[in-house]
Amino acid sequence: MSQLIKVTRPTKIELIKLRRRLTLASRIQKLIKDRVSILVMEFLQIAGQTVEVKKGLLDDFSAMYKALSLAAGYHGYIALEKELTASEGGLEVVAGLRNIGGVKIPAFELKKDKQTLRGYSLIDTSSWLDRTAELSEKCLEAVVELAELQRGMAQLGMEINRTKRIVNALEHLIIPGLQATIKYLNMKFEERDREEKSRLKRVKVLLERK
Amino acid sequence: MDSGLPYESILQKYLTGELRVLNAHLPGSQKLLSDLWDEEYPHVLCNDGSIHLFKRKELKYLAGLIDADEQKMLSLPILIEVSAGRTEMAVLCPGEVEKKVIQKVLDMPLDVREGRIALYRPQLALVRRLLRTTTQYVFSAQL
Repeated sequence: MSQLIKVTRPTKIELIKLRRRLTLASRIQKLIKDRVSILVMEFLQIAGQTVEVKKGLLDDFSAMYKALSLAAGYHGYIALEKELTASEGGLEVVAGLRNIGGVKIPAFELKKDKQTLRGYSLIDTSSWLDRTAELSEKCLEAVVELAELQRGMAQLGMEINRTKRIVNALEHLIIPGLQATIKYLNMKFEERDREEKSRLKRVKVLLERK
Repeated sequence: MDSGLPYESILQKYLTGELRVLNAHLPGSQKLLSDLWDEEYPHVLCNDGSIHLFKRKELKYLAGLIDADEQKMLSLPILIEVSAGRTEMAVLCPGEVEKKVIQKVLDMPLDVREGRIALYRPQLALVRRLLRTTTQYVFSAQL
């Protein structure tokens, strides 16, 4: 439903101002529509990637647990636990921000150490443990990537909702309101012209009678 | 102030604010790929004071597309211009290296017109998918 904007004085200056306002509002609408379409494109892309990464992560977890159970079966739980305690190390994640059309999205990257050894004894362990360690590192990378994607998706979703409300307000309220007011003022001026013409005719008739 | 109608000033402020938000993330200055490669945390400072982080994985991918001399000419982030109401976007291409990178990413020959490569949305999606942190949007509106 379009609403009329209250015009204080129905003058030509007001009409010019309203026309300017309408042009401005249309430009804003175009700009925000572009922004929404970019945000939606990025959202869909991130959503697709999230699905891929999640699927990959589940597969990696499954392979990792399989390798871990094989290693546990080969070495025994006590020996495996002893080796894994020795291999415990810190985890460093580089966190920053990236910006998509005004939306700040986190960017995480797992920092890889340059050390080639994992901390456990290579003499006392087998390749089963190496395989487990390799797969768990892959899982960690995927977890960090998934965290980034999911947070990004949530923030993009919120921004899309907010921006869509603004687009709707412009499209269904502000622009139709301005158009209706311009139309109303135009009609008012036409009416004034007609009144003026009939008044002049009346004056002319009166003057002729005299 | 206009005569009792705050709409114009509100709209003007909103548009300015919206453009400021959209383009706040633009880098103060671009950095060369060869310089970023040497940094521990490759990043650029943005106009709003925030830090835009580049992923090493992407830098590695870009370094694989071009040779060592060209790495000294590629400025990052690559800027993608979005103009209001236009269907295609444009990659700002000040040099030949950017063109080469985009051509290799899309795997197709491209034309540079007035320092810009026109991209359609599906192409843009592909570029953004591979170069998430090494490309950035610039929104332009004719006021």
